Amino acid sequence: MNLSLEICRFNPEVDREPYFQEFRVEIAGHQTVLDALLEAWRQDPGLSFRRSCRSAICGSCAVAINGTPRLACQTLIRDIAGDNGRITIQPLPHFRQLKDLVVDLEPLFDSLKAVVPWLITRPEHDGHMDPAVSQRMESLSSCILCGICDAAICNPGGTKPAAYVKGLRLAQDTRDVLNEARLRLMQVPPEILKLFIKKMPDVCPKKVKVPEI
Amino acid sequence: MLIHEVLVVGGGLAGLMAALTATEKSDVAILSKIYPTRSHSGAAQGGFNAVLGEDDSISAHIFDTVKGSDYLGDQDAIEVLCSEGPELIRELERMGVLWSRNPEGGLAQRSLGGAGFPRACFAADISGHVVLHTLFEKVLERGIKIYPEWHLLELLVEEGQIAGALVYDLARAKLEIIRCKVLILATGGYGRAFAKTTNAFANTGDGMAIAYRAGAILSDMEFVQFHPTTLYGTNVLISEAARGEGGYLRNKDGERFMARYAPQKMELAPRDLVSRAIFKEIKEGRGIEGKYVHLDLTHLGEELLQQRLPQVKDLAARYAGVDAARNPIPIEPAQHYSMGGIRTDVWGMTSIPGLLAAGEAANVSVHGANRLGGNSLLETVVFGRRSGQRAAEIAGTERWVSLSEAAVSRYMEPWNSLLAGRTQAKQDDSPFAIQQEATSLMTRQVGVFRDGPELEDAVKRLAELKERYRRLTPPAGEQPYNYALMHYLELGYILDLCELIARGALRRTESRGAHFRLDYPQRDDQNWLCHTFVRRGEKGPEFSNGPVSLTHYPPQERGY
Repeated sequence: MNLSLEICRFNPEVDREPYFQEFRVEIAGHQTVLDALLEAWRQDPGLSFRRSCRSAICGSCAVAINGTPRLACQTLIRDIAGDNGRITIQPLPHFRQLKDLVVDLEPLFDSLKAVVPWLITRPEHDGHMDPAVSQRMESLSSCILCGICDAAICNPGGTKPAAYVKGLRLAQDTRDVLNEARLRLMQVPPEILKLFIKKMPDVCPKKVKVPEI
Repeated sequence: MLIHEVLVVGGGLAGLMAALTATEKSDVAILSKIYPTRSHSGAAQGGFNAVLGEDDSISAHIFDTVKGSDYLGDQDAIEVLCSEGPELIRELERMGVLWSRNPEGGLAQRSLGGAGFPRACFAADISGHVVLHTLFEKVLERGIKIYPEWHLLELLVEEGQIAGALVYDLARAKLEIIRCKVLILATGGYGRAFAKTTNAFANTGDGMAIAYRAGAILSDMEFVQFHPTTLYGTNVLISEAARGEGGYLRNKDGERFMARYAPQKMELAPRDLVSRAIFKEIKEGRGIEGKYVHLDLTHLGEELLQQRLPQVKDLAARYAGVDAARNPIPIEPAQHYSMGGIRTDVWGMTSIPGLLAAGEAANVSVHGANRLGGNSLLETVVFGRRSGQRAAEIAGTERWVSLSEAAVSRYMEPWNSLLAGRTQAKQDDSPFAIQQEATSLMTRQVGVFRDGPELEDAVKRLAELKERYRRLTPPAGEQPYNYALMHYLELGYILDLCELIARGALRRTESRGAHFRLDYPQRDDQNWLCHTFVRRGEKGPEFSNGPVSLTHYPPQERGY
């Protein structure tokens, strides 16, 4: 199908503010928005966007598609192209735009540090774990740190949902010294927590569930 | 100028493991062209081989690996790989890896191809992802400096030793020199040299090509793994775990055709054999629509798919529109892994003092002519750790190699002028066109089945493509996130490696593991039980043969 991609462009060295540029691309319905972006890139190699695995495991190609934060490689054209064949692609909202679709990821990665995002192993841990405990953590451990939840459920100045997911996973890990004490240390206000629980299933590309605790 | 005792290039499993080990005793930094958590290690699905059960044994793992390698793997290195496996798995467990469990709370293990025992530890079918993120968490804990989205451009070699690296910060569009005593290349493979590949866009073999240009010896480049089960069309990987959990391969008649090729191991024969079998079925008219075969998981049941293969189910649904619980998945073989790489010893040491390599970028060689599923993840942590240990030792004992101002200018000058160049006028040729031709050529003529005339033709055409590449005006311009420039450089790496792969394949007049010559269909131990070494000479690549370590297992016929 013949698509009109409206891509948000911005080069900080030249442009005073972002603007939209239209690209006409020929793409099949079963292909992805990433395929469409790659086609646009062939037309203008100066277009900047991140991508790598093209199978929804690396988290690089998170952008806003028709206003909704999604992974470009995971979004099929037929699911989002309307009758007019027009798709807008913008950088992730609530992230600083550095160039075109590339945003500043440092605040996301920095925010992880606040939850002490590593296992502090109990010295007596013998290598065994209740399979039920392990299974409960599986969904939380499939987070790919793409930033989409942060873009969709912004909690300005507070814990970012991705950091919370990491902290919450460790809070359930029976190998961890802090274990449940992490919940108190993270101090996520109940209303924010409710927001994470409610919104995560709709926004997360890996369907990570924030459990009620 | 930035200074670190040890610079690790690459933020995948091998790189992070090397950095975490070296940081115990030295100042380390990680430089990676994408954020570490985006590394392609995260796409690994199946698992890590390690002997844990009492019914299994280290010597069985060693033998399976040697046989899987078609006797080209170095047996001393394979002994290291298999012996250190169990300890590493336990260490990863203590670091926080969420392994899938058996009912007793121990680590669950599954069967992968070519193994005589279910010995792959796994985390559902996102094993690489889970371990990568755990190691990344440990890197945050240790406060190791990361240079994310910085590209290695050139190795600085002075007095025959590593003095540092010339690198490029994509965000600031700036060149920098990083001085180091030891540089560890953990840059992964070159999958993007092939049009049909499971690999990520980032997998362009940068480290191998840059090491080759700096004079390091590469080895066994002609050995390229083609994974049997990738989604037809997109070549998205469908894990060997799908067959490990009991999946069948069927042709258009619904027949489990592996019975003809590997009557004992069936679908769990090694990858080289299964990929050839699939192409043979298609060639002899038993493919579906003449193009692909089916991976049938329908008999496994919804629940098992959800528990053990959730990603496989998801990938099939999204990229092939198939509900794997109800219908078979259309699959075809595609490039997956680089057996060859930068030649190292069992401590990661290359032919250049101060330069180490680990993981897929390296050739130790534990995989020989064909890698077994579950052994590459194991290799990343075993040899990542070893190279980190050795790097810290070198950093503690060796002096700094001097690097004069004049030398710095000499290295910087060509890159400065490349970056300062103007955006080019419209050209008739483009990196996209050259890449398209080169990678299609590799898949078509340097793929699963090879023969002399096709390879000769490929070598000739690759030389023409290199010539076209040389005539391109680099897409210069000092702008941030200049992916056009990176793409141009990456294409240069790919073209260098394509030449080594094709010429290596032409030179090796036998069939062994993943290298199959229609004109020389037999393994020839008399003449070719040897590694292929290659280094850059004045007039192009200079090839030679190197000895294979045979400790306990003399070559035998390889049947499955």
